[in-house]
Amino acid sequence: MSDSSPAVVGNVLLDARDVSKSVRGPEGQLDILRGVTLQVQTGESFAIVGASGSGKTTLLGLLAGLDTPSSGHIALDNHALEQMDEEARADLRRRLVGFVFQSFHLLPALTAEENVMLPLELEGSDDARSRARAALDAVGLTPRRRHYPAQLSGGEQQRVAIARAFVHGPRLLFADEPTGNLDQRTGHHVSDLLFALNHDHRTTLVLVTHDPLLAERCARRVELHEGRVVTRGAAELTI
Amino acid sequence: MRLLRLALRSLRREWHLPELRTLAASMTLAVVALGVVATLATRIERGMLANAAELIGGDLGIASPQQLPADYAAQAHQRGLAISHGAGFPSVAFAHEQSQLLDVQASDAAYPLRGKLELRRASQGDVIGHGPAPGEVYLDHRALVALALKAGDHVQLGGRDLLIAAELLRQPDGGELFALAPRAIMNLADAEQAGLLGTGSRARHRLLVAGGPAEVSRWRTWVQTQALPQGAELITPEQTQERMRSAFDRASAFLRLTALLSALLAGVAIALAAQRYARRKTNEVALLRALGTPRRRVLGLLLGTLGALALPASLLGMLIALGIAQAAWAFASTLFTSVPVALPLGPAFAAAAMGVAVLVGFALPPLARLAEVPPVAVFRESMARRVRRFDALYLIPVAVALVLIWSQSGSARMAGILAVSLVGVAAVAALLAAVMLWVARHVAPGAHPALRLGLAALARRRGMSLLQATALSLGLVALLLLAIVAPALLEGWRRELPADTPNWFVLNLQDDQRPGFEQSLASIGGQQLNMLPLAVGKLMAINGHPIGQLSFKDERAKDWADRQLRLSWASDLPPSNQVIAGTWPGPQPAQPEISIDTMWRDMFALKVGDTMSFSVGEGTIDAKVGSIRQVDWSSFRVNFFLLLDPAHASELPHTWIASFYVPRGHTESLAKLSRDYSNLSLIDVDALLDRVREIVDRVSHAVRWVLGFSLLAGALVLAAALAASAAERRHEAALLRTLGARRAQLRAAAACEFALLGLVAGLTAAFGAAGTGWWLGRAVFHIEGFVPPLGPLVLSALGAATVVMLLGLAGTRKVTRTSPMRLLREG
Repeated sequence: MSDSSPAVVGNVLLDARDVSKSVRGPEGQLDILRGVTLQVQTGESFAIVGASGSGKTTLLGLLAGLDTPSSGHIALDNHALEQMDEEARADLRRRLVGFVFQSFHLLPALTAEENVMLPLELEGSDDARSRARAALDAVGLTPRRRHYPAQLSGGEQQRVAIARAFVHGPRLLFADEPTGNLDQRTGHHVSDLLFALNHDHRTTLVLVTHDPLLAERCARRVELHEGRVVTRGAAELTI
Repeated sequence: MRLLRLALRSLRREWHLPELRTLAASMTLAVVALGVVATLATRIERGMLANAAELIGGDLGIASPQQLPADYAAQAHQRGLAISHGAGFPSVAFAHEQSQLLDVQASDAAYPLRGKLELRRASQGDVIGHGPAPGEVYLDHRALVALALKAGDHVQLGGRDLLIAAELLRQPDGGELFALAPRAIMNLADAEQAGLLGTGSRARHRLLVAGGPAEVSRWRTWVQTQALPQGAELITPEQTQERMRSAFDRASAFLRLTALLSALLAGVAIALAAQRYARRKTNEVALLRALGTPRRRVLGLLLGTLGALALPASLLGMLIALGIAQAAWAFASTLFTSVPVALPLGPAFAAAAMGVAVLVGFALPPLARLAEVPPVAVFRESMARRVRRFDALYLIPVAVALVLIWSQSGSARMAGILAVSLVGVAAVAALLAAVMLWVARHVAPGAHPALRLGLAALARRRGMSLLQATALSLGLVALLLLAIVAPALLEGWRRELPADTPNWFVLNLQDDQRPGFEQSLASIGGQQLNMLPLAVGKLMAINGHPIGQLSFKDERAKDWADRQLRLSWASDLPPSNQVIAGTWPGPQPAQPEISIDTMWRDMFALKVGDTMSFSVGEGTIDAKVGSIRQVDWSSFRVNFFLLLDPAHASELPHTWIASFYVPRGHTESLAKLSRDYSNLSLIDVDALLDRVREIVDRVSHAVRWVLGFSLLAGALVLAAALAASAAERRHEAALLRTLGARRAQLRAAAACEFALLGLVAGLTAAFGAAGTGWWLGRAVFHIEGFVPPLGPLVLSALGAATVVMLLGLAGTRKVTRTSPMRLLREG
């Protein structure tokens, strides 16, 4: 597969070709993804939609380098992920990637500010605290920076998670059902925030969602069904 | 019933959980440690009593100034006990126009019921025998020498002409080392016929019994319900052989300490595992509550599960304990040569009960709080955690620990020292950990990235870090006490009995014999000669009141007031004596002063400043109580209850008593010494010394056995402490990996975190163990000049920190390999 990696050119940030993922279960092999191909340009917003069990989260994990495909090729910023070991992929994630999860995944024993500082601490940044404060300010949570996750509402927790995802200036932001645990109004605010950051910082946004409204706000989208791409929105082809 | 079924089902499903296995293993270990030691201690105690019985010649006896009513013997006979009658009195023996005051014992043919009467017969050599036949007498070496007789000759005693059937070598003498007069044993019927035991005689009658422990105990109970004749007293094995007793007491204290610490360690492991179990069950309980299960039922289910776990764990613990105790007894029983001692089952049951108490006490608080999880927690996990500033439920494990310490330590003093020390260690560890966390927060931003992450991790799990540091400190202090302090204490004890500990005592040395004796002794290689004057007197009055007119609550007082007393004097406070009140007299006190030991203070309710009057020889001496001493009677030195100041006492009529060391194999030289100084009594205490040394050695072995369990318990604490934060760590590691943390970064952070944790715990434990050891050595084990080995302790603490770090790293190996996909899967 390595001979195909140089094919990624220009402003394509994420390039997946013929990606499949299978796992061995008690009832034999289970194909979760089957020959998925897609490209994401720098600065664009991209939605992956589909029913539960369609393979969305698995695809997101593969695109982010959290896992490796059974076959196929994925390049992130021209780096062929399947050729890198877990350590190198972690290094790449630290430099290029931010994450927002459905369940926020804030560390309960840390204040909002300390949670935001985490990626900076991993980098060894000397001004982690001031940058974390700036990021919290950007999501409107300065007054809550000393609060612990348990003392924050769901919307506030997700805004902290967004601040954490943006604080180290990633080029690519992965969001897994970012509004899935929030009410409609709060979800709307959070998605506004994500798209504003996407626009203001030209951060590429890849999100997985059930929410058709959220998906529609993305420049492009693909729909998965039983591990295959079945529709492509906006500029994409429909199979 | 239904609840029990549910609990059993729940246990079966959850048995794979490591925390439940930790709970079961910890409880089993606690029962094993407590059970082995308690079983062994009980058996040793019984063996010791049986041994001591050899020394008084029976299992129990009564001594009385008058003939005992026949009822006493009849009751013993009814209970199937063997009986021996006897009497002791002073009498003068005559032979070849020489006379000698003898300490005579009249015995029947059954004597001794326990132990051995060693005799040297002219025809048969050394034999084991019984009381002499009518017309016969046994005389000891001193009596034979004094009267210029030998076995086979005749002697006049009580007006009767008796055949010296044998030389008396050794008899069950109640451990009385210092009989003042030479000894003789004659037939009881002869003594009666000679009128030596009639009214007005100075005879002290004695009834000895022997038999099965239950029968003896029943007879003893019956005796205690009777009004004993005036001046009569029970002769019990417990009263005899203070030195042996002291050795066994120390041995038992060591073993109990080891078991107790193991049980406490197990308690800490149980507490940690229960915390983890409670946390894991939170969601399930919230769901049960949401589905309408009442709180009481939830609590019942949790306790049922705990109970279902406790029963087999304690049974297993009991069986292992009994097995090990049986095996260990095979080694220890050679110490006890008398009646066989059956394996006692009671202590193992008691240990199982204590194990259950430890399990319930330490596991109850988190489980009881778990039952309080509100149903709403199914919607919002944070609702499940109700933080309390003070939770009274957590006083339960503290109370269980205190009860355990109190019941197991066997001494209020040891219990107090341990309780204060362990609470102190816990408090210092928590304080140090809090300081470390504070420093972590303030130093972290400028520190090395790995250290910063490690410090941040510690600070993140603030509560857990405090708990881990405290639990590890307690675990380590117990281990260090066992592994380093206890052997050092044992070594200190052994040093008290060095190879050249005096093994001979000599009595009756006269002033003019001293130089010659010293010279003769030196010529046969005698060393460590320690000579003290010995005057024999009688207590006449206290504060001017004649002793006969005073009454004392302590029954021993009358006995001592009637006795001939041994007085001595010394210019310096003898070794193994400690002045606890008043002052040691200067070289020339204005009036005669006396220093008394604590037993005398208690018996006669004496205090510093009181006056005691003694008659010694023809004269009297009135001495002011100048000081009160604590005497270590376990030391093999000549010690006295009563010590006068030399300035006023040196003119009293006296002889000398000496202790010295002669290497073994000098029997002939000593026999010659004995012949040269025929008035002297030479007493060999090698056998006694050997026995004490043997006890020390065997205790060291036994402590090592129990130490093995303690190490296991310690490992469980460590595992439980590390496992307590494992789930949190895994989640955190997955998140950090997702955010791009390298494995090396996570490992370095974990290494820093655990090293810091280990260091805090290790250093607290090292100094805690040193302090506790010093205190125990001084106050409980009475080991003079005991200094805990601080160097090895600190090294061990650093070693422990390294082990904690390595184990922590090993434990986080799996954590650092956690797939970051886990987070996405969790949503």
